[in-house]
Amino acid sequence: MRREIPIAICLLAGLSFILEYFIPHRQVLSIFETIRQWSIIVIAFAYVLGLSNLVRVNFHVIQKKQRDWLYKIILVLGVFFTLIVGIIPYFGGIQEGTIFDWIYYYAQYPLQATMFSLLAFFIASAAFRAFRIRTFQASLLAITAVLVMIGRVPVGEKLWPGFPDFIEWIMNVPQLAGKRAIMIGAALGAISTALKVLTGLERTYLGGD
Amino acid sequence: MDLLTIIGNTLALILTLCIFSFLYKDNPFYKFAEHLVVGVSAGYFAVLIYFTGFIPKVWDPVTKKNEWWYILPAILGIMTWTRFLKKWSWISRFSIAFYMGIAVGVSMPLDMQGRVIRQLSATMLPVHLMNLQGIWNLLIVLGVLCGLVYFFFSLEHKGVVGGAASVGIWILMIGFGAGFGLTVMGRVSLLADRIQFMREWYLMVIKGVTGG
Amino acid sequence: MRIPHLLRLFFVSCIFLLVDFSLSVAQEDLSKSWFNLHRVNMLIFLVFFFAVIIYFIERAKRGKSLFIRRIAGLDAIEEAVGRATEMGKPVLFISGIEDVDQIQTVAAMIILGNVAKMVAGYDTPLLVPICQPFVVPVAEERVKEGYASAGKPEAYNRDNVRYISSEQFAYAAGVNGIMLRERPAANLMFGSFYAESLVMAETGFSTGAIQVAGTANIHQLPFFVVACDYTIIGEELFATSAYLSKEPKLLGSLKGSDLVKAIIIGFLTLGAVLETFGITHFTRWFFIE
Repeated sequence: MRREIPIAICLLAGLSFILEYFIPHRQVLSIFETIRQWSIIVIAFAYVLGLSNLVRVNFHVIQKKQRDWLYKIILVLGVFFTLIVGIIPYFGGIQEGTIFDWIYYYAQYPLQATMFSLLAFFIASAAFRAFRIRTFQASLLAITAVLVMIGRVPVGEKLWPGFPDFIEWIMNVPQLAGKRAIMIGAALGAISTALKVLTGLERTYLGGD
Repeated sequence: MDLLTIIGNTLALILTLCIFSFLYKDNPFYKFAEHLVVGVSAGYFAVLIYFTGFIPKVWDPVTKKNEWWYILPAILGIMTWTRFLKKWSWISRFSIAFYMGIAVGVSMPLDMQGRVIRQLSATMLPVHLMNLQGIWNLLIVLGVLCGLVYFFFSLEHKGVVGGAASVGIWILMIGFGAGFGLTVMGRVSLLADRIQFMREWYLMVIKGVTGG
Repeated sequence: MRIPHLLRLFFVSCIFLLVDFSLSVAQEDLSKSWFNLHRVNMLIFLVFFFAVIIYFIERAKRGKSLFIRRIAGLDAIEEAVGRATEMGKPVLFISGIEDVDQIQTVAAMIILGNVAKMVAGYDTPLLVPICQPFVVPVAEERVKEGYASAGKPEAYNRDNVRYISSEQFAYAAGVNGIMLRERPAANLMFGSFYAESLVMAETGFSTGAIQVAGTANIHQLPFFVVACDYTIIGEELFATSAYLSKEPKLLGSLKGSDLVKAIIIGFLTLGAVLETFGITHFTRWFFIE
C-alpha cells in the first residue's frame, strides 16, 4: 500500500497529462492548468524541507565548532534575516524600495552576477587546456573552437573574408548534425526512463521502505 | 544621490571584489561572500516562493474567493513535511508521486514532439551531389545517422557499426568545439558587465563625493 | 503468435493512411474539439514507442538474455570512486540543478544510489550538495539505501546530503566551497546542468580531483568534455543509470530504445531519398502542430 498507491497516483497523473496533449478543448485544458498549478503549490511547501536541511546541517557545524563554523553563522543569519524581512509584513514585503529588495539589489545580485562573470576566466583556462589535449577527438574540438572564436570577431574576417561564411557552415552542418543526434538519443532515453517511472518499474524517486 | 544608495553600491562593490578574490586562491573574503550568497539566496527563494506560490495560489483563493479546493494541494504540500517524522515519512511519497506524475506526463509528448519527431522531419532533406546545398544536406543526414549509431547500446562498436560510431563521435566533438567557441564571447561580456559596474561605482561614489 | 507478413504490411499501411487522413482534415474550432486530429501521428509514435519499450522489458523479465555493450562511463565512475577510496578522501556527487521532476535528475539519483553502495564499504565519505528542495529527501533515501545494501547502515551520515540553494550561482559557490575545503578526490556530476557547469568543473579540476560528468544538456557538454576526465554524453546518462541498476528488466528499455533508433535511421534515410526525388508527402507525416 505504501508503494502501490503512490505508483498509482503517478500513473494516473502521468497518463492524464499525456492525454491533455491531445485534447484541445478549452474547458479540459483549464482543468489541467489548475492541476498543474497544484504541483507548484506542492513545491512551495517542499521548500521547508530544503531550508530545514540547510539550517540543520550548518547548525551542527556551528554546534560542534567544526571548521569554518564562523562562516556558517553568516550563512544561517543570511537565511533568517532574508526570510524575516521578506515575510513579516512590518518590513514591507518584497516590493520595490523594501529592505528585501535592497538586499537583493545590493547583495544577492552582485554576488550572483560576479560568480557568473567568473566564467570568463574559467572558459579561458578551459580553452587553454583544450589545446594541450593530444587525442584526435579532443583536437577536433579544440580546432573547431579556435576557428569559431576567430571567426566570430572582426579580426577573423580580416584574416580571410570567407571566415564568417565558414563559421556559418560549421554551425549549420556538422554542429547541427551532432546536436540533432544527441537530442534524439537523449529524448528517447528520457522518455523510456519516464515510462519506467510512470509504470512503477523505476521507483527511485519514492525512496526506501 | 542618497546615502543608502552609496552604502548599497559600496557593499555591492566589496562583495564583487570578495568573489573575484577567489581567482587568486580560496581566502576569508571569498569564504565570507560565498556563505553570504548561499544564505541570502536560500532565504530569497523561499520568500519568493511564498509570495508567488503560497499566497496567490492557496491563501488568496481560499480566504478571499472561497475556492476551498485549493486546500487539497496545500494538504499534498504539507504531506511532504512528514519526512521529518520517521514513522510517517512514507506519506510524503503521495506528494512526490503526484508531482512526478504531472511532470513526466507533460514532458513525454513534448520531448517526443520537439526533440525526436521535429528533429527527424527537419533532417529529411533532399541530398544532391549537383549543388553545394545538396552536399551539405547529405553531410547533415550522414552526420545525424552516424551520431545515432554512436548511441546504440545493443551492438558492439566494431566493424561497420564501429566505423559509423567513430564518425559519429567526431561529428559530436566538432559540434562541441563550435558550441565552446560560440560561448566564449558571451562569457567575456559578463565580465565586462561587472567591470562596467565597478567603473560606474567609481564615477558615482568617488567622483560624486569629491566633486571631481 | 506469428502474424503473417502481408497482414503486418496491411496493418502498417492502414496506420499511415489514418495519419494521412487525419492530417488533411481541417478542424475549425480546436478549442471545442475533444481530440486534435493533427496530432494523430504523435499518438501513434508515442504508443509505438511505449509498446516497444514494454515489450523488451517483458522479454527481459522472462529471462531472455539481452546483449548490452559495456558503457565506458561505468568504468570511469568506478575508477574515480576507487581513487578517492585509496586516497582516503571524500567523493562528491553533484546531481545537477533541476528538480526531481526532470528525468535527468531521476537518472542521477539512480547513479547516486549505486555510488553510495560503492563507497559504503570503504568508509569513504560521500558528499551530496543539492540545489532543489524536493531532491533532498530522494537523495537522502538513495544514499541511506546504498549504505544499507552494502551492509553498512551505520556509516550513513545524514549531514552529508546538503541542500545549498536553489539559485544556480549560489549553488555553484557552495559547491566550490566544498571542493576547495573538503578536497574530494572524485567529483561525479550527473544530471541537468546549465552555465554553472564550467564554474564547478574548472574548480574541481584545479583541486586535482578525478572528474566524471554526464548530462543531456547539449550546451554544457563541451565544457564537461574539456574540464572532466570522462564525459557521459546525452543518452549514455540514461543508459548508465539503467546499467547500474543491474535489473534486467530496466536494461530491456535500452534494447527497445535501440530498436526505435534503428527505425528512425530507416525513416530518415527513406525520407531523405524521397525528398531527393521530389516526393515530399512522406515528410509531411512527421509534421506536428
